[in-house]
Amino acid sequence: MRAVTRDVPVVRVFARACAAEWTRLWTVKATWWFLAAATVTMVGIATIAGLEAAADPDPPRGRSAWAAAAVTGLPGQFALLALALTAVTSDYATGGIVPSLQWTPRRAVLFLSRTAVVVVVATVLGVLLASAATVASFVTAQPLLTLAGASDVLPDVAFVFAAGSAFALGLGFLLRNTAATLVTVFLLMLVLPLMLPNFGHEWLSWVADRLPGSGAAFLLIGEVPGMSRTSSVVTLLCWAAATLLLGWLRLSRDDANR
Amino acid sequence: MIEVRGLTRRYGDVLAVDDLSFTVEPGKVTGFLGPNGAGKSTTMRVVLGLDRATSGTALVNGRPYASFGEPLREVGALLDPGAAHPGRTGRSHLRVAARANGIPRRRVDEVIERVGLGRAASRRIKGYSLGMRQRLGIATALIGDPGVLMFDEPINGLDLDGVRWIRGLLRQLADEGRTVLISSHLLGEMEQIADRLVVIGRGRLIADATTEQIVSGLGQVRVRVRSPRPDVLRARLRERGFEVERVDDHELRVEGSTAEEVGGLAHALDVPLHHLSEVRQSLEDAYVELTTGSVEYQGREPVLTAEEAR
Repeated sequence: MRAVTRDVPVVRVFARACAAEWTRLWTVKATWWFLAAATVTMVGIATIAGLEAAADPDPPRGRSAWAAAAVTGLPGQFALLALALTAVTSDYATGGIVPSLQWTPRRAVLFLSRTAVVVVVATVLGVLLASAATVASFVTAQPLLTLAGASDVLPDVAFVFAAGSAFALGLGFLLRNTAATLVTVFLLMLVLPLMLPNFGHEWLSWVADRLPGSGAAFLLIGEVPGMSRTSSVVTLLCWAAATLLLGWLRLSRDDANR
Repeated sequence: MIEVRGLTRRYGDVLAVDDLSFTVEPGKVTGFLGPNGAGKSTTMRVVLGLDRATSGTALVNGRPYASFGEPLREVGALLDPGAAHPGRTGRSHLRVAARANGIPRRRVDEVIERVGLGRAASRRIKGYSLGMRQRLGIATALIGDPGVLMFDEPINGLDLDGVRWIRGLLRQLADEGRTVLISSHLLGEMEQIADRLVVIGRGRLIADATTEQIVSGLGQVRVRVRSPRPDVLRARLRERGFEVERVDDHELRVEGSTAEEVGGLAHALDVPLHHLSEVRQSLEDAYVELTTGSVEYQGREPVLTAEEAR
């Protein structure tokens, strides 16, 4: 028992909170399942695409295998978005937010450390899996594809995973409920951007262009009418910043879990 | 030390805690008593910075809990033993706590041993019984070797051995000079464990005094007396202003008197006695008396303060 309270520099408190978040993330099975799902999706699709290209009677030659990184990132991102949002919502579902805030009572420190660890982990995993998918399609399609062009694709992949996971995590802090957050992420990232332009109303297409899913799709596969690189980056950044801000306001103002 | 001053917490129209003030001192086990919904858990949550106070302050060692960089070295608290990720092992749960507070990893194994969690620490929490979750929660509270400990209903779910263990543990922690606050609805248990009691009802302070003072200072002392000639004794006791109740043909219950007085009077009257005893009010009686009163109680002042009880 220590008689006098020791004041610890806030940088050290933050570093410790990050270490705790790292341990918290990797000591539950869900994280490993989401990682496995992302791996199977991205590497699996890339492998199948590579084999199909190799079997094509008129095979495409000389194209970059890095296309696999971007294309498989589109479905694969959802596994890592789920990883990011459950890192927050599982704490509310299990009541674990009470010990979390007991151990790290400065809410800004908890928020920033969780955000930093989860976004970095999701981004690094996204880039590694995209690279693995590229290698898988390169190997299975040999000798059709080349490994040139990584610098054109990887920064976009990294940005989409970083902004997407920040968006999902902020939404988790805001809604505090796994099902509600998951459904909202799917609607905004996948369902609405695909559906809205099909109704033929201009204003619905306008709305669709401002959803995060449209920005992610443009940066990964590029075939989104009405989107540009700038508008995609701005859209994704705005959504990520907005949900993080709202999530922070809820965490900082409300009771821990009531 | 825990200091609660003028603490109020309102949920919409409901006043969960109403201008509550008390101090929990080191070196003692302080029991936090009150009926369900009295505001005990809310008060503990506000002390830990989990819930916001509408007004008033709650300080631990003179500071708000949220200001500590290493909170587990200051306060160990167990509020809800179920509040942990069920998919994590007990050891991993403790490792997260240790890393967040810069506590060396060997402490994890030390507290696992201290609470008797043993090999269960390597299993996932979802397979734990309530008693094992309590032990894990207590291990987490002890991991930083803190000077202040707060347990919400720590005896819940423990078997007889567990209850005896926690009784000994709480006493030991207080004897080491730590501040120990426990809430419990098990009044008999409180009577055995707590040195001091803070009793609340409907969010308000009802009593803040030693357990002894609360037990002896509230209810009237009662005397049980059996005699073949109770009528003579009863008549004379009533003349002296005592309230006497006839329990059966041979037994009387005298309010506010002592065994010496009744015995002396019987001797003077030459009335033979077959039984004479003082009935000490149990904490349960005192508690019911206190908290029942709080339902209709409208004033702002506590019924009994430490000063009055002294």
